[in-house]
Amino acid sequence: MDSGKVKFFLGEVLRNFTRNAGMQATAIGTVAMTIVLLGAFLFVRQALAGLGNELLSQVEFSIYFKDDVTTAQEDATRAAMQHDPRIASIQFVPKRQGLQELSQETHGKIDAGSLLTENPLPDKLRVQAKDPSLVPAIAASARTLPGVQNVVYQGDVIARLVAVVEVLRRVGIGAIAIFLIVACVIISNTIRLTVFARRREISIMQLVGATNMYIRAPFIFEGLIAGVLGALLAVVILAIARYTLWPNLLLSLPFVQFGSTTIDAPLLVAELLGAGGAIGIAASWYSVGRHLRT
Amino acid sequence: MISLRNVSLIYQNGVRALDNVTLEIAKGDFVFLVGHSGTGKSSLLRLLYREQVPSSGEITVDGIRVDRLKRSRVPALRRHLGVVFQDFKLLSDKTVWENVAFAMQVTGAHTKDVMRQVPRALDLVGLAHKSRMYPGELSGGEQQRTAIARALVNNPKILLCDEPTGNLDPSNTTEIMELLLRINLKGTTVLVATHNQAVVDRMRRRVVRLEDGKIVTDEERGYYYLGLGQGQILSG
Repeated sequence: MDSGKVKFFLGEVLRNFTRNAGMQATAIGTVAMTIVLLGAFLFVRQALAGLGNELLSQVEFSIYFKDDVTTAQEDATRAAMQHDPRIASIQFVPKRQGLQELSQETHGKIDAGSLLTENPLPDKLRVQAKDPSLVPAIAASARTLPGVQNVVYQGDVIARLVAVVEVLRRVGIGAIAIFLIVACVIISNTIRLTVFARRREISIMQLVGATNMYIRAPFIFEGLIAGVLGALLAVVILAIARYTLWPNLLLSLPFVQFGSTTIDAPLLVAELLGAGGAIGIAASWYSVGRHLRT
Repeated sequence: MISLRNVSLIYQNGVRALDNVTLEIAKGDFVFLVGHSGTGKSSLLRLLYREQVPSSGEITVDGIRVDRLKRSRVPALRRHLGVVFQDFKLLSDKTVWENVAFAMQVTGAHTKDVMRQVPRALDLVGLAHKSRMYPGELSGGEQQRTAIARALVNNPKILLCDEPTGNLDPSNTTEIMELLLRINLKGTTVLVATHNQAVVDRMRRRVVRLEDGKIVTDEERGYYYLGLGQGQILSG
């Protein structure tokens, strides 16, 4: 391709693109909406998956004692745990210390000193298992020990989390599929309008022996631009959400520790831009193809 | 150069546009295709540049079997043909130069070929001095000359004209016909569908007459109306 050809091609694309600016804006907006949804979905899923992995790898669990537990019962249970070969270490947390820890975890929102007249927390025994897979079995046996009210480990939480993630996944995939279709329909309608506006040009191109590929190319390129612009807009929206809304969300959910959720930002951006471009190309390919066949 | 053998074209609504047409046009011929509106002149031209496919029969254009041409080969056929219409089919937002260059650019021609061929075509039709003007700023005759330049810029061996003077006044009509004659003298085969009696009668060229989709007469040096040369005038 010589530079004259490139200039001609880009000139045609630009002419095309600016002629239907309003419709292009609609198409770009729809792609942006779809991609925002896709991006938010991927992000939340990744965050929840990270959370699940973290919980699954924890070896720590807590044994809560009854309110009316005696010191003798507590000692017996501590002794039993200490002699269990599956256990790495134990730490006794009296109710007073438990309240202080809670106060710290919640960044002072629950004030140990002023808010409460009575400490509602039970004494507990913090247990470290040697292996995360041993936790359910140890928890089951610990429930039978003297003075034990309850044993809480993250397994239940994980089971519920997995269920929630599964529901989210299905709903998310459904919503994204619908939005992808909507985006494709709107882009292909936009392209059809530009095809209609340029039907004279197209018929002349066909008349002088332009190949279908050559006729298609500017429209495909136009669809690609609309798709990528939409995706770019979406990435900006997602980035703003990530750096302003997300920290606030974390603050408002102090008990949930989204510690080490790792998201590969450049990869995600590349994927979203790719998705936008693909929507644009697919939609324009389809609508120009329909015109050329007649 | 152009050969039709027992060609029929029946539209989906049952209308028989062409009925068993057989026609031979030699290289370098200048042929008028005459007849009333709706007698199949335009249909015949459309078959030649493969805008339409015949229902039956064989069509050969410049050695290419058009009736069994694959869709993907149609662009190659059309690069051998120039086509000119009554309504010029120019792009109003492009200059004369751009309109003519467009026909080369969309076939992927090299820029240096475009730069060489476009001025040559504009020279031939006498519009080199108006190359920067837009179609809206030109007379009808000049617009048609632009369209002819575009049809010729790829050096086709055949020029098909569908009512090329239908929108033009007599002086512009004369101008266009003289141009077509000049193009024919350079060796291009020219086929003109028209119902302009004055043009046909003045030029005295081969006249193929269509009626209801059939070729009724085919005369060397003919007139618009059958047998006018022998002093007979038909009504109509």
